[in-house]
Amino acid sequence: MVNYDNAKDLLTWEFDFALSTYYEIETEAIEHLLPKQLNPIEVAPGIALMSLTALNFPPGALGHLPEFQELIFGLIVTPDLSRGVPKFAMYIVSLSSTNREHLEHCVQHYRLPVHGQFTGVSLQHDPHVVEYEDADGPILSMRNIHPNPAYGEGERYFQAFVMDNDRLYVADVVMKGSLFEHQQTGDAGKLWPHPFYNGVDVEAAEPVAFMQMLNEPGTMGKQLYPRPEKFR
Amino acid sequence: MSPTKKDLPPYTDYTFDMFIKSAGKDHAEITQFNEWRRQVLGADMYTFQIPHLGAQRPEVSVQRVSGDRLDLISLSSYNYLGYSYHPEVLAAAKEALDLYGLGATGSPVLNGTFRIHEVLEDKLIEFFGMPGYGVSLFSSGYGANIGVVSAYAHKGDVVVLDRLSHASLVDGAILSQATVKLFKHNDAEHLDRVLSRLDHKNLRILVCTEGVYSADGDTGHVKDIVRVSKKYGATVLVDEAHSLLIAGENGRGVSEEQGVLDEVDMIIATFSKSFGGVGGCLFAREELTNYVNWYARSRMFSCALDPAVTGGLIKALELAGGPDGKVKRERIKANADYLRSLLQGEVDIGNSHSWIIPVIFGDEHLYIPLSDYLQREGVDASLMSFPAVPKNQSRIRLFVTSEHTKAQLERGAEVILKAAEHFGFLLEN
Ligand SMILES: Cc1ncc(COP(=O)(O)O)c(C=O)c1O
Repeated sequence: MVNYDNAKDLLTWEFDFALSTYYEIETEAIEHLLPKQLNPIEVAPGIALMSLTALNFPPGALGHLPEFQELIFGLIVTPDLSRGVPKFAMYIVSLSSTNREHLEHCVQHYRLPVHGQFTGVSLQHDPHVVEYEDADGPILSMRNIHPNPAYGEGERYFQAFVMDNDRLYVADVVMKGSLFEHQQTGDAGKLWPHPFYNGVDVEAAEPVAFMQMLNEPGTMGKQLYPRPEKFR
Repeated sequence: MSPTKKDLPPYTDYTFDMFIKSAGKDHAEITQFNEWRRQVLGADMYTFQIPHLGAQRPEVSVQRVSGDRLDLISLSSYNYLGYSYHPEVLAAAKEALDLYGLGATGSPVLNGTFRIHEVLEDKLIEFFGMPGYGVSLFSSGYGANIGVVSAYAHKGDVVVLDRLSHASLVDGAILSQATVKLFKHNDAEHLDRVLSRLDHKNLRILVCTEGVYSADGDTGHVKDIVRVSKKYGATVLVDEAHSLLIAGENGRGVSEEQGVLDEVDMIIATFSKSFGGVGGCLFAREELTNYVNWYARSRMFSCALDPAVTGGLIKALELAGGPDGKVKRERIKANADYLRSLLQGEVDIGNSHSWIIPVIFGDEHLYIPLSDYLQREGVDASLMSFPAVPKNQSRIRLFVTSEHTKAQLERGAEVILKAAEHFGFLLEN
């Protein structure tokens, strides 16, 4: 699917928890965050998608790092199909985790827009439920909506765009594992107004869950993530 | 053994939204789409755009890309009442063809309107039995929706759509440049909340719903939607594409069935379905249709409805409004009930109460192999998957007509159930 022969500094991150929710949000509420080269994917006129992905990395996921948790806020955008056909493309708006060393690595290796360090995370593997907060207060609570996930081994290729020093970068990322994706409707939790969302008024925007992706509890998944390269 | 994801070739991994657009100048979506198409063709699994060799009857012949000719039970055409090949309809079309020629060769507002178009308009008003109303004819149902919505709503107005609205209503809303709001499918309470948040005292609001929704075959909650919309002074459009000539005692659609025909502001009809032809129209108060005739751009800047088709449509409408229509309406409903009874309990047929019956097979990876299988086993069916329907809810959409015999429906059901066993979507009893 993705050819990593020429990938720069490809790292493999092993995770034992993943829960990602795409929320519908009015395009108007997020447009200002996107670089001019990227356009939001709209699922209905004026309705874009923002994603929140919570991951848990067990000890040793990368070198000597202890167990830590991560949260990524992204916007779903038009991919660059000349690189291959991904499941989706995401422009990463902000990222936090519980581990300072990990955050430094994110900045140096991946040019990721690090927001800060969490002060409190609660994470339940089965059923999937997470809550994150930092010094500015609660950020989100998120849970799986689907009552009986049917997991299957799979690979998901996605393009991760980031902005660094006014330049756009992209990485071809592959997520592997026993995964499940669904569009069950229901209550996926709550997003609290917080600087993590970079000015997106998540309360006024009333995000509605559009899709969720999760990994099978008790199994390990892998994220293959090379160093991003300049995008045009 | 049913195939698992591992056995499936890579081209099954793509959903149709993946080639819509690519960032950058090089049109990589065109290259990637063609690569995908080549792979499916190469595997002789390409069932799309398959040429049909005759009319859309309950039994059809098609020609595969390989050249093989297949004889199939058709459960995929929305020729609901069989008028596309009815001898009297064809005779009327031929007569009009001889009189007016092949095409209208002009915009309807300028020189493209023929006497026969006016006859169709009059017959439609008569059919609805509503004096003071008018008809605005379009050369497609798609054109009717985009034209009407964008002629009525503009920047600064609001178009409120059911989440499952047909693409033509969505596109009309985009074209109008109005603000678009969505309400949960068929949920009048949610619509109420959406409308209550708008400045409804000052804004022009158009609420759109449909008579029968073609993804699930469920009926629009038109009565409740009209009641809520009126509370906020909103205008209501009902697209009766899949219900006109069928639903309601006189075939005037779901709006008639639910007793709100005179409260609906705009009725959209398509002539491509139960009429068996092509085209569409707006049925509304004459003042409005007069205006739409001029200001719907898909009408003003497009050639008038084909005259031969128009002749056929007049005959189809005449038949549907008389005893023939009554018999066919009863028969299509009985046929749909019969097909449901053959499938119920064996496969997931959702919540259909109409002549459209979904058979939900779930996994979108099965779309191409299942489509191919059904064709080779003898059924012409149309499938739908993500993003047209939610993930894991891919479905075979079965269209029942008044013209199917019991034996044809039985043969169709047999193939569907065989496929369900092969692909593992039989319900566990
Ligand atoms: C609900 C609805 N509206 C409008 C249309 C467009 O009609 P036409 O095919 O006549 O252009 C369709 C066609 O499938 C439809 O299902």
